[in-house]
Amino acid sequence: MTETKDITWAHISLAHGNGGRYMRELIETIFSRYLSNPVLNTQADAASLPDMEGNIMISTDGFTVQPLEFPGGDIGSLSIHGTLNDLAVAGAIPKYMTVNVFIEEGLEVSQLERIVQSMASAAKENNIAIVAGDTKVVPKGQGSGLYLATTGIGIKSGQHTLNIKNINIGDRIVVSGPVGDHGTAIMLAREEFGMHGALQSDAASVLPLTQAVDSIAGLKFMRDPTRGGLATVMHEIQQASGLGVYLYEEQIPIRDEVQTVCDMLGYDPLYLACEGRVVAVVDDNNAEALLACWQQLPQGQEAAIIGKINQGNQVVLRTTLGGERLLDELEDDPLPRIC
Amino acid sequence: MPDNAKYWLDAINALTISTPFRIMNVCGGHERAISQSGIRTLLPKNIELIPGPGCPVCICPEEDIYQAIQLALHEDIILLAFGDMLRVPVNTTKKEPRSLEQARAAGADIRPIASPLDAIRIANENSDKTVIFFAAGFETTMAPVAAMLVEGIPKNLSLLLSGRLTWPAVDMLLASGEACFDALIAPGHVAATMGAEEWHFVIDKYQLPVAVAGFEATSLLAAFYSVIRQQQEQKLFLDNCYSAVVKPQGNKTAQQYLSQAFDVVDSNWRGVGSIAGSGYQLKTVFKQHDARLQFKDYENNKRKRIGEMPPGCDCAKVVLGKIYPNQCRLYGQACTPRQPIGPCMVSDEGACRIWFKYRTDRPNEDHQAETVTSA
Repeated sequence: MTETKDITWAHISLAHGNGGRYMRELIETIFSRYLSNPVLNTQADAASLPDMEGNIMISTDGFTVQPLEFPGGDIGSLSIHGTLNDLAVAGAIPKYMTVNVFIEEGLEVSQLERIVQSMASAAKENNIAIVAGDTKVVPKGQGSGLYLATTGIGIKSGQHTLNIKNINIGDRIVVSGPVGDHGTAIMLAREEFGMHGALQSDAASVLPLTQAVDSIAGLKFMRDPTRGGLATVMHEIQQASGLGVYLYEEQIPIRDEVQTVCDMLGYDPLYLACEGRVVAVVDDNNAEALLACWQQLPQGQEAAIIGKINQGNQVVLRTTLGGERLLDELEDDPLPRIC
Repeated sequence: MPDNAKYWLDAINALTISTPFRIMNVCGGHERAISQSGIRTLLPKNIELIPGPGCPVCICPEEDIYQAIQLALHEDIILLAFGDMLRVPVNTTKKEPRSLEQARAAGADIRPIASPLDAIRIANENSDKTVIFFAAGFETTMAPVAAMLVEGIPKNLSLLLSGRLTWPAVDMLLASGEACFDALIAPGHVAATMGAEEWHFVIDKYQLPVAVAGFEATSLLAAFYSVIRQQQEQKLFLDNCYSAVVKPQGNKTAQQYLSQAFDVVDSNWRGVGSIAGSGYQLKTVFKQHDARLQFKDYENNKRKRIGEMPPGCDCAKVVLGKIYPNQCRLYGQACTPRQPIGPCMVSDEGACRIWFKYRTDRPNEDHQAETVTSA
């Protein structure tokens, strides 16, 4: 590797994607500086991975969040956490990742550097090596500053065969913490509604949560409720199992700030994204054990059993008042209310 | 007053209610709160909760939406509308855009906004263009629009105004003798703006119990309890069950803005027809901001009330509480939130949409329509 140079440009230009000197300097001064590891070789076209034993799992995800930086995270850490979480809820321990970077001409280099730094520390904290990558620059107006795409490779751990099809009547639904934080924090960060707040996104690795329950018998299924939120995962469970999902509203953890913002803007936190939570379905006998496991962890202190699987064929919410209503599948993008 | 939904629920369930008692909630926000908290599943069988006319999207005249679509398609303007309006279908030939959303897809510059402040911002950011704000809504929504006019509106911003007053619709319904309810829940936010007092006519003219309610289960249940007790004891009074927000005489400043900016005129309600003194119109001093005058050619009088309701659509009856949403034969069959046929299936304030979204007895799942008990 060339020795680290100082960054001499303030903004990304099209030349940084031309394959020539500017691009080499960009890679050297930012990407290699923060992401380097023994496997990542910026001169090679392909990386060679050490032999791995066990069931290899792979997952890929794209990241387009706006704004690029938000309270509690940024697109860089999100691109690591997002893909690693998909591997984690499938029962794998993530090992390697590749990253594709699409930069819009004009992006501030200092912002890019912050984001790559954040990506690097998220990867490091979770023992993930970035082993391959690519950078493209698109003309101004053809992107929203920065898009990232990551692919992760992991090795399956534990004895479980997690499968949504294993879900049965009587199983319990457990969530690892409050829902809707990420979606609400992003809404506030956009400041579109003239509202501000101190709410942090929950964006984080869920690996400690998924690993903690690795040995829990009767664990059927895990998922991280990202786009479409908790309600969307419930519909996935309902549709795949053909059974009913019955939730207790008063048991679902929601922060007061999240509820207040949602009430004002007409959103339902059950449909808003989380980026650091896990929903698990576990048989009735082991639900309390799984809950106890999570509650011992810092990120699982507010975990709760929020519902059960029943014979119905709908997602039904028992309201705090004791009434019942449908929790509908998300229809379209939520629009601002008229009154 | 005990601030606890459970308390009021128990109080209602402790009453002896031997005959059907029908309570109309004026506002779409009421209906949403009722359906969201599952209140209907918890009340005595003889209590019927009937959704009323308070959905501004549902009653916005078809010709106004058509006019907004045509303006956006054919003039070099930016058209702004509240998000809910974008998907409301109008009656056009198959090749023409049927909604503002489709017009936008066809290339028109149509932008959803959340408040009049957005309109001012967008107008200022695009000072070289004419910006038209298609402002539909009730008193609560119209007050900030009026304030915007009075306090100084950007030169390039005009209004396609479709504002309505709520109480005249209820008055018209009661005067028609076709009203299907025994008590009224008056809209909390409208009362906060205009004063609860304007609903006193329900007692004076029609001798029916009335209570103002907010948009949470506690306030609604307190109001239901109040109107049932008023009826049982035959002691009618205008009860305010939303006193934290609704103050005597309402919001004087808002009322002043409204009277400075608008004249009250007879106006069309989609599916209902013209209701006396139920609409707002820009005062002549603001004529340079009146899109109806600036683009006179788009005002199509022949269009008024022609084909405003698609064949088979019963939104007009739903809006007036004459039938429940699930008594319309299109409900949940041909008409769903994904493919709305009538306006009540579009907005989050529309009774059909709310029922479809929240009720566990969706069509095709042992569907049994409830029927409004006839008078």
